[in-house]
Amino acid sequence: MAGLALVASGCSGSESKPAAAASAKPAGCPQAWKAGWQRLANRIHSKVYCPTWMPSPIDAKIGGQWDNGVSVEKDKSYLVSFLWHEPPSQDVHVNFRGYPGRTKIPRCEDTEVVGGKARTTHMPCFSDPHGKRHLGPITATMYTVNRGVDQWHILYAWRDHGSLYAVSEHVIKPLTYAKVVSNLDRMVRGLVPVKPTK
Amino acid sequence: MKLTRKELLVGGAAGAALGAAGIYELVDKLADSSPSKAAAAHAPEQHLVDGLRVEKKEGVEVVVPLRHHEVVTAKVIAPKDQLRDARAALAAELKKLDTKYPATPDGLAFTVAWGLPYFQTYVPEAADLHLPFDRRAKKPALFDAVRFPSDPEETLLEDNDVAFLFRSDNEENIRAAATEIADRMKGVLAVTSIRKGFAGQMDGGKGLPKEMATAAGVPGADLIPDGSELFLGFTSTQRNALGPPKIVNFETLGLVDLGSRSYFHGGTHMHLSHIFEDLEAWYLNQDFRDRVNTTFRPHMPVRPGTQTVAQPPSRVASESEVRRDYDRYGVIGHSSSLQPASRLQQNIRGDDGTLYPKGTAIPQRADFNTLDNPFFWSADPKRDRMGEGPAAGLHFVVFNPTSDDFHRNRLAMDGHMPDGEKLEFVPRSAGQGFNSILKTTHRQNFLVPPRRHRAFPLAEL
Repeated sequence: MAGLALVASGCSGSESKPAAAASAKPAGCPQAWKAGWQRLANRIHSKVYCPTWMPSPIDAKIGGQWDNGVSVEKDKSYLVSFLWHEPPSQDVHVNFRGYPGRTKIPRCEDTEVVGGKARTTHMPCFSDPHGKRHLGPITATMYTVNRGVDQWHILYAWRDHGSLYAVSEHVIKPLTYAKVVSNLDRMVRGLVPVKPTK
Repeated sequence: MKLTRKELLVGGAAGAALGAAGIYELVDKLADSSPSKAAAAHAPEQHLVDGLRVEKKEGVEVVVPLRHHEVVTAKVIAPKDQLRDARAALAAELKKLDTKYPATPDGLAFTVAWGLPYFQTYVPEAADLHLPFDRRAKKPALFDAVRFPSDPEETLLEDNDVAFLFRSDNEENIRAAATEIADRMKGVLAVTSIRKGFAGQMDGGKGLPKEMATAAGVPGADLIPDGSELFLGFTSTQRNALGPPKIVNFETLGLVDLGSRSYFHGGTHMHLSHIFEDLEAWYLNQDFRDRVNTTFRPHMPVRPGTQTVAQPPSRVASESEVRRDYDRYGVIGHSSSLQPASRLQQNIRGDDGTLYPKGTAIPQRADFNTLDNPFFWSADPKRDRMGEGPAAGLHFVVFNPTSDDFHRNRLAMDGHMPDGEKLEFVPRSAGQGFNSILKTTHRQNFLVPPRRHRAFPLAEL
């Protein structure tokens, strides 16, 4: 029954009750989510952005029900992913990324077998910029073609004090492109910085 | 503007569907300019449209496509012994329409094309004698369509007897003519499908394809570049990419033996297919550079955001260049892979004395955007796999001198070059032009008789 309730919630396009009020100015990282984001900031010794609103039905509790994994690379860049999946092909999938100490768009690798030979190409992980979005203190560039785990996502990226940050969401049923853009606007507008405490 | 489901769907009989515009009623509401005006004329060829405008877009000469298109397919149901009467009735009706409408953008260009089942079933002896023969292919100029390597297994190879292609800037002209023909041919022809669509005339604003796709709520619609002629964001009617008027006539390039009576002199061949386009995959998985690589040619220098890319004869790709692109990048461009088959490889003096220079395009495309899924109306919805709601796609209509000539072009698009070399690809892989986002649902080849024999050809013999 819980699954059915989630499907209904997703299809209707309604939003889960935000962990923090969706009011104009976010107060801070929601209490229930803060510990995970703080641990991440401490782990990479750099600022991370914590959301205060997430599209239904997922939340942004690292280690919670919708956690789809946290990965931190040697260069301290991170990926935090949240996913709701309803077979066969409905998702709400949001990725948060940070690249501390670098602002260049990362390169992604793609391998395809053509004529029996594996061909590897390298390309920007985020491409096809579609203008700027001014969302509270953040001015993000919207990218519509993204690679790797951000493939088929719309991605907002911005630079802050020598670091690059990004949030992306998958364009897939039950969401439309317009709904994803609206979700990203709301998510990025609500982001709050979490600084390392140790 | 978002349409309700009720507004998008048209049901009922063929007659009702012929008289209905459905979602396409929006075309004239969304288009900026009124239908263009041009001089009246009727050529002996059926496939030519007079008075087409040529404009410069992004510095490239572009033939302005007609705004509204419709194809009606049918099966002959009249008994064989009534074929001569049917011929007279259809000829009279078509002549009446000729009188009423000039074959111009503001009038009505219509083409009657006949499928192999008609010739084999109704006029087999005369067809044996008079159907044109392709000397190069050593095959009849008209043969059945096939599934090409990048086609899915479910592509339906159709067996219609006849197809009527209507083109006009004025939708009402198409609706009236299609309805008149259907009414007059009751008991003679049974409509099997109705296919509708439109082309963007690049007249500013968001452009018809984007506005129509957005109104229909098609996934990926928001990502179509403003002002584009087609859903895929590039112009396809560059003057240099379309064959000059009479080049596809059976007799022009000397490919075809017309037989002793030259019954089909002035005729041509038409291929008709329907293709779904996955706009979301196109715009979310392939960036502008990828889209240029796969639409035109890998690493072709094109300024970001360009929609109209020049395709002059002097820059036509050779087979060795396509092979080099494949070896180097693992990718073939749609246009470049086609060009060794679709462009003249040498200067040719046509049957009418016209000199067609090396690099000239042969096919005359008349393809158009559609939101049909896959058709506007079908007599057999199960067979045609009629889906619910609108879907982005293309009704691909192209005139070539023969079935084999079209097949050579289409095979080249899959990496099967005219010299027989096969560039290996997994079907619909990213390297294989833009086949990766296309899905062909239906195909059929037709013969287009000259105007004088367009009604039940050979039935009078």
